[in-house]
Amino acid sequence: MSTQPAHGDATIAVSDELAARDDMIVCRDVDKWFGDFQALSGITATIKEQEIVVVLGPSGSGKSTWIRCINRLEAHQSGQIIVDGIELTNDLRNIEKIRSEVGMVFQQFNLFPHLTVMDNITLAPIWVRRKSRPEAEELAESLLERVGIPEQAQKFPGQLSGGQQQRVAIARALAMEPRVMLFDEPTSALDPEMIKEVLDVMEELARSGMTMMVVTHEMGFAREVADRIIFMEEGEIVEVGTPHHFFTEPAEERTKLFLSQVL
Amino acid sequence: MTDPMPPAAPTALAAEPVGPAASPPDRPSLPPGRWIRENLFPNARNSILTVFAILVALFTYRGLLNFMFSEERSWIAVRTNLRLMFTQAYPEHQYIRVWVTVGLVVVLAGLSAGIWARWGGVTLKRLMGWLMSGGGLVAVGVLIREPSVLTDAAGETVRDDVGELVRESFAAAMADRWVWWAAALVLFGLGLALWLRFDDLARRTSEIPVAWLVFGLPGLLVASTWVIRYGHYAFADGEFIAEPGQLVAMSTRVPWTVIWLLLVGCFGIGRVARSRAIASSQAVPDAADDDEGAEDEAAPELPRGALAKTRAIVNLAWVLSPFFLYWVVMRDPEIDYAHVFSTMLPMGLAFGVVGSAVLWWLTRSDAGEVGRLAAIGLLLLAAFHWVAAFFGWYSMLQVARIAFLLLAVAGLLAPNFAGVAAQRRRLVGAWLFVVLLVFYGATVINAPSTIETPTDMFIGGFSVTLLVSVLTIMLSFPIGVLLALARTSRQPIFRVLSTVYIEVIRGVPLITLLLFFSGVLPLFLPDGMEIAELAAAILGYTLFSAAYLAENVRGGLQSIRRGQYEAADAVGLTTTQRTGFIVLPQSLRVSIPPLVGQVIATFKETSLLAIIGLFDFLRMANSVVPNQSQFLGVRREGLLFISVVYWVVAFAMSKYSQRLEQRVGLGQR
Repeated sequence: MSTQPAHGDATIAVSDELAARDDMIVCRDVDKWFGDFQALSGITATIKEQEIVVVLGPSGSGKSTWIRCINRLEAHQSGQIIVDGIELTNDLRNIEKIRSEVGMVFQQFNLFPHLTVMDNITLAPIWVRRKSRPEAEELAESLLERVGIPEQAQKFPGQLSGGQQQRVAIARALAMEPRVMLFDEPTSALDPEMIKEVLDVMEELARSGMTMMVVTHEMGFAREVADRIIFMEEGEIVEVGTPHHFFTEPAEERTKLFLSQVL
Repeated sequence: MTDPMPPAAPTALAAEPVGPAASPPDRPSLPPGRWIRENLFPNARNSILTVFAILVALFTYRGLLNFMFSEERSWIAVRTNLRLMFTQAYPEHQYIRVWVTVGLVVVLAGLSAGIWARWGGVTLKRLMGWLMSGGGLVAVGVLIREPSVLTDAAGETVRDDVGELVRESFAAAMADRWVWWAAALVLFGLGLALWLRFDDLARRTSEIPVAWLVFGLPGLLVASTWVIRYGHYAFADGEFIAEPGQLVAMSTRVPWTVIWLLLVGCFGIGRVARSRAIASSQAVPDAADDDEGAEDEAAPELPRGALAKTRAIVNLAWVLSPFFLYWVVMRDPEIDYAHVFSTMLPMGLAFGVVGSAVLWWLTRSDAGEVGRLAAIGLLLLAAFHWVAAFFGWYSMLQVARIAFLLLAVAGLLAPNFAGVAAQRRRLVGAWLFVVLLVFYGATVINAPSTIETPTDMFIGGFSVTLLVSVLTIMLSFPIGVLLALARTSRQPIFRVLSTVYIEVIRGVPLITLLLFFSGVLPLFLPDGMEIAELAAAILGYTLFSAAYLAENVRGGLQSIRRGQYEAADAVGLTTTQRTGFIVLPQSLRVSIPPLVGQVIATFKETSLLAIIGLFDFLRMANSVVPNQSQFLGVRREGLLFISVVYWVVAFAMSKYSQRLEQRVGLGQR
């Protein structure tokens, strides 16, 4: 993995100047507008290596927008986002580099329907990481084993259940051997009986030391797995704290209101 | 395409042993009388409609038969001119080249059919249906066709006092047509015999392999030419040959027999290769294969990735064959090899070697601004040669100017490939391929032939129709895809250019475009630049077809959901990889029906070649044959004949596209 920024390349900022060594994601005063509507205002937060951060908030609060800014599926308009020591700018090379270090799991899975599960997983390792096909397939098999569906490798996504599809999507992201995993409401499109199988995989991933940022409505997962919880509303970070602090003695009125509605 | 499992099968439970699915209760088919009552005459209104529709069909059928069997028809004109209609006056002593071409295509077709196709079967019930309805149709035709005109001893038609033609009596007509009665009886009898031989269940479940019919019927036809005296009619060296009661000419029988044997032989080879691949994959049983079990043993699915190399080679051969066959058929027998060896070959080599060196230098990681300036300089120099040729200061060979310009474009693209050795090699490889293509094309395709034929063109008739449509489709497809991508691109300049191009081309009638390219374009070209008439026509068709293909592909592109783009981005694919692996495969799959529609349209539109003065299939039937001294004014027979040929080809393409849709739709739900 090429995690070391290339020294001497002027387009890639060196980590020392921008962030501390174990800061995986740093956001400073990030603003984002959709037309006249301000989706994010002054987001400032740091996520350390191996930290599990869960982002909570009512719908429309900007959680998804923020997480999508972190691998540049949306462009922020002002402020700084630094991932693994690399600042996100319009420079395509930086964006591609960050995207290959950051795995993302979507609400709607977004598997490639015309490729088998195996091809879905091996495509990026082969073409972005330049792995050989046998090497990539070996990796894919071990990942499918890890997410619990080794027997589905030759099926097409349309032949799998929602929970299985989401687990394939997780395996696909992991196949790039990312430094950070982003989860954008990974269980919201699933039937209730399938949510657990996906959450189990995510918990296992968290225990293995992966840095994770999770947008979710699963309060149980947030309480048990998260190291920190970030609560957002109307594009702002309202409150940050450990699960214990957040669920038992929230400081802000808005947080209390939210919790009273969802718990 | 590994999994031919029906969607209803419980795939999610594959871990548990799944027994054979319960089949629906067996429903015997209705007896004919009840079927007719329930489906055709269920109530008064539908009965009237049924009767009306049958009457319309019968009158149309009668009109067609009266036309075909009228004493005024001269079908001999078509038979005599078959060769003319398909290849025009292709020189007799060179004809082997045409047969080689047909043979090569047949070899590829046989191999592909053997390796790929999952040939199903025709149930006995359908076969019997075809036989019996065929017999019935012939019998009805014999009954409703009007009685023939009487002729006297001298062969003149007999007229009555008022000058009306005298026809034989109905009874005499029926007796005269005993051959047709016999044919009807044989067909119907065969069907009936099969029907009585098997019970209802066997009729619906027993199958005859389609391949037997597809290869067997032409085989019977070819074999019959050795036995049955069809008569020998030909038009050769200005002489009309008419020898009824003879066998078909040896020069027809032998090649077709060889071609049929080639077809069947290659099909067999493909089949053997396929069954070997299947056998070797079953030796190592796969977990996924277990629940497919008895799915369909008659045509097992070829395992994924098997025969990959063979398939790749056959595919490549298909793609390259038009260019190679063009050379086989169109090559000037007196081609100026001195010119090829003294000029074209060394020049091509020089462009290949020097161009590669230049590109290698331009893609060094430290080429930087100097490299860009050098590329721009190259472009200016290349453009200058065109200007110089235009004003007649001096003129470099056209092919050299084209190659120069392409080199400059490659030079401008160089920074995208800079640095990584593999990327640099790819650019140089692409350049060598382009040089090969340009010089091959200039030597072979855009070179006028010196062979003496009655018209300017070496070849004509159906061959030209086929040649133009195949080349047009092959060339316009990539252009169409690029245009569609450009039109949906984020770059405004690409978007605007592509939109303007598509809208302009779609707003202009095809015939105008063709006239422009064949008649007007040569006047615009600078001195020293020339374009063969056929090349001009192909260019016109290609530009036209590309615009329409682009719109079809764009429809497919718009059906791709945003999530697919985001997922591809999120795993780090570059824009090119995203387009090539994720977006295009899915959108082309969606656009198969309109794309095939466009391909069929292009094939039929080649008949406009007749208007710009090329001798295509239509022109042969519409003006060449009716102008022969022997067959003055015999036009309608030829038109009916070419309509049938056009229809057969178009129908085959349409059927193939339906199968293609089913095949690529398999994994997708």
